[in-house]
Amino acid sequence: MHSPRRSRRTAAAVTGSAVLALLATACTGTNSAGGTDDSASGKDVTITFWHGWSQENETKAIQANIDTFQRLHPNIHVKVVGDIADDKSEQALRAGGPDAPDVVSSFSTDNVGKFCSAKVWADLNPLLKKDGIDPARTFPAAMLKYSQFEGSQCSLPLLGDSYGLYYNKTAFAAAGITAPPKTFSEFDADAVKLTVADGDGYKQLGFMPTYHGYESAPSRYLGQYGASYFGGAGKSNIATDPRVAAMFTWQKNLIGKLGGFDRLEKYRSGFGDEYSAKNPFETGQVAMSIDGEWRTASIAEDKVSFDWATAPFPVPDDQADTYGRGYQTGTIIGIARTSRKQAASWELVKYLTTDTDAVVGFANAIHNVPSTIAALGSPKLDADPNFRTFIDIARNPASDTTPASINGGAYQISIQNLGYAYESGKQSDLAAGLAASAKEIDAAIDQAK
Amino acid sequence: MAVGSTAVPAALKRKHRRETARTLAFLSPWLIGFGFFFAYPLISTVYFSFMRYDGFTAPTFNGLKNWDYVFNHYPFFWQGLRNTLWLVVVMVALRVAFGLGIGLLITKLKTGVGFFRTAFYLPYLAPPVAATMAFAFLLNPGTGPVNHLLGDLGLPQPGWFTDPSWSKPALTMLAMWGIGDLMVIFMAALLDVPKEQYEAAELDGAGPWQKFRYVTYPNISPIVMFAVVTGVIQTMQYYTQAIVAGKVASGVIGGSGQQFEPGYPHGSTWTLPQMVYNLGFQRFDTGSACVAALVLFAISMAVTSLLLRRRSGFLSSED
Amino acid sequence: MTVTTMTRPTTASPSTTTAAAGAARRRAVLHWVAVHSVAVAAALFFLLPFVFVFLTSVMSDRQALTGDLWPHQWQWGNYLKVWQTPGFLGWWRNTLLYAGLGTLLTIVSSLPVAYALAKFRFRGRNLALMAVISMMMLPPQVTVIPMYLFWAKQLHLTGSLWPLIIPMAFGDAFSIFLLRQFLLTIPKEYVEAARIDGCGELRTLLRVILPMARPAVAAVALFQFFYCWNDYFGPQIYASENEGAWTLSYGLESFKGAHHTDWNLTMAATLLVMAPVIVLFFFAQKAFIEGVTLTGVKG
Repeated sequence: MHSPRRSRRTAAAVTGSAVLALLATACTGTNSAGGTDDSASGKDVTITFWHGWSQENETKAIQANIDTFQRLHPNIHVKVVGDIADDKSEQALRAGGPDAPDVVSSFSTDNVGKFCSAKVWADLNPLLKKDGIDPARTFPAAMLKYSQFEGSQCSLPLLGDSYGLYYNKTAFAAAGITAPPKTFSEFDADAVKLTVADGDGYKQLGFMPTYHGYESAPSRYLGQYGASYFGGAGKSNIATDPRVAAMFTWQKNLIGKLGGFDRLEKYRSGFGDEYSAKNPFETGQVAMSIDGEWRTASIAEDKVSFDWATAPFPVPDDQADTYGRGYQTGTIIGIARTSRKQAASWELVKYLTTDTDAVVGFANAIHNVPSTIAALGSPKLDADPNFRTFIDIARNPASDTTPASINGGAYQISIQNLGYAYESGKQSDLAAGLAASAKEIDAAIDQAK
Repeated sequence: MAVGSTAVPAALKRKHRRETARTLAFLSPWLIGFGFFFAYPLISTVYFSFMRYDGFTAPTFNGLKNWDYVFNHYPFFWQGLRNTLWLVVVMVALRVAFGLGIGLLITKLKTGVGFFRTAFYLPYLAPPVAATMAFAFLLNPGTGPVNHLLGDLGLPQPGWFTDPSWSKPALTMLAMWGIGDLMVIFMAALLDVPKEQYEAAELDGAGPWQKFRYVTYPNISPIVMFAVVTGVIQTMQYYTQAIVAGKVASGVIGGSGQQFEPGYPHGSTWTLPQMVYNLGFQRFDTGSACVAALVLFAISMAVTSLLLRRRSGFLSSED
Repeated sequence: MTVTTMTRPTTASPSTTTAAAGAARRRAVLHWVAVHSVAVAAALFFLLPFVFVFLTSVMSDRQALTGDLWPHQWQWGNYLKVWQTPGFLGWWRNTLLYAGLGTLLTIVSSLPVAYALAKFRFRGRNLALMAVISMMMLPPQVTVIPMYLFWAKQLHLTGSLWPLIIPMAFGDAFSIFLLRQFLLTIPKEYVEAARIDGCGELRTLLRVILPMARPAVAAVALFQFFYCWNDYFGPQIYASENEGAWTLSYGLESFKGAHHTDWNLTMAATLLVMAPVIVLFFFAQKAFIEGVTLTGVKG
């Protein structure tokens, strides 16, 4: 068929040089490297702040912080936009239009590597230095680690998250369980004891182990194993670290003990929104769950109909001495490199991340782990023991996070996909699956470089 | 122009020039559109497929690296191609057969034609996102009415959009629900079949199947061909229903820090057009996204050329 | 419209005996019952989803998760709740703007092109037509990367619907093709007569051709309106980063995201998104079906 080809060639000739000119401009782009503003001299400046919080108590708390900030800086006005997903904010930042945000926060530390290396977020080191803030003496080491990439401090921690076990004390009593499990063998036994079948489904499930069960993602479980993700030369070592395989095997066995994948998935499709009072733990659909410290605030607010408590999530039997650890992550905040209001933006970021009262107040309001050394030791911090569990997890030296990577969380998606395939039985050869995923991760990182 | 010889009188030449100007004037909106929204982006897509560009820092030449990545390392490429092929074969075949069946059914009806025609046509009007949302609810394994009914009847209850072996059949069912366009086309074609041919066939003692085989089908075969080819082209572009069904069934729709698993469940609803979105707007790997776009372009144009060849009627004109 | 007059009388041969006539009548009755049973079954397949969606939309949150078919109590308030969702009215406004303005621009820009392709004789006409068909068949994903970069980097118009509306002022391939197919059926004598009367081409188009092509223009307008109303990919690319620019199709998905298993509310929202096109259909049924027929049969 020669005609369409000819028509394309004709078209190319018709549009000719105009197209080439356009192409040239499209290639170079018109990226402004950002700029500063007159906020320091007291002129009125409005900055836009995008965040991902959506629950009412959370949006209220962040607004309260913003209100205080605006009282302290009457000339800086903050336009707050909530419930923004990471790929949306990233798309907007890369596009760099007039509506793009100045200050951005993200729940996911996964993207720090991407934001820093692509220079989507500005390096804050010069600003920290200018204001005489020493990051190492201000922020806990683990949190500082996940907010930077290859020397660029393009974000700062804005509260941290640690993961632990939530358990339904009423259900525990009914099943004759007296204390929260500390090892996976105890945990598995308790999960089975707490499971009440209902025909083909469940009246109550001990624990939802599948990777789609909200926070029960591979990275959270792997945190209990202390697994490493990358070895020398930045290559994925999930195929060689035996702790990774051990996690996959444990999870798959637990699925079998609780009734099998199909039955669990069917039950899961009736779960309510994770970030609402319909969370399956809050409704009593599951008796135990792995979740972050923020849930303590939501459960208290939603007034559940049973007694509950928190504890560190169990650890593998052969690592029983590490009990008390947990997966560690946090919210990060940064400044768009394209922002023309860097000075005002920095004032906001500085206030939210380093002002002890602001950090403690915010941590108490939404029950997150505070993210400065001063705030962690603050007497004003909430003394609720269920919340304190997570402070201790955050302080535990064995608690670890997922490392930053140049292509963001892509390696975690690869591991997750393997998890989905393995838990459902689609992939039965775990060693081959891990090897293939490791290769996939390495190729993706290579492509992003 | 071939007539531009010196023998042509000046007046005729002027007329000719005037006509060319007039033609260009009438075509001008589209000429600009063609250059700007077709030719330019295509050339640019080819250009970017050889560049490393994250949409932020200036693009740099990357050789064949993007092509190598997409074909040999991108974990979802072949899966997307396989799924698209599955949909092209199964979904298009079933849609055409079902559309023809419904069209035939309507022409056989004697009572309530208006009601049935409207009933059969209505789902076609449902916006794709809304229709997909409705089906995701109806087919929700734990709580949806369809499995509830199947359970009451003692039948097996599939996982539909949450089960990799049922997700494409569920999408096919959704596509068959919106059969209204094909039904109308077939209905019109069936009514155009000359009645005399049926009468002649009846005189020869032909049964219903023979009448269909030797009278109906030869008359409507160009329309069947048309339905198949346009169906293939539509299926190449299959995007909205697949992505919405995957997001709704996986429960991951938005929110900071949540990563949507492409083609949930297990990549079974992952199609070629989604690749462009994933690479370009989630991974911000412009070069690889352009490679995926060019693959999509090549396949679409191959199918289109088939359409242009088989349906010369497309190009017919009155002189 | 031929479609509405399709009952074909079955004529029995006049020379048959009464017994044979009785048998033929019985056969006809059986045939009637069989065909209509199949039709009723098919109608259930097509209509029950609407019925279930509606019934669920008036259930309580809890009941919507039970798989029940009939609501215990009719919660009409669900519709009010959906209507009061922040942003919902904005999605309506944006969708109407996109669909309305997009349709208008498409018609204005496509009609002259279609007219030239159908009625002018010029070199390269078939080539142009093939280019139109190629554009028509092009998946939008093929060109989206450079187009997005253009709208984002050059014009800073992302976060709005303008990158979707503005291109419609430069002809839409599908509309051009459809209009051209219809204009071909208008005998050229009309055009010639108008030309002899001294009409310019534009006046010929507007005074003579447009009135005759009204059904085709109506069909094209409806298609384009639907296209915009249903579009998900476009708003996802260009408008997703700015909630103030979302359309119903895009917003509906995020509505589901925000309400998760509140299927009653999601189904109420789903019906509200479906309703306008269905109402429009009942008002413009004829133009619709003619339009669909035009895509397949003519030409």
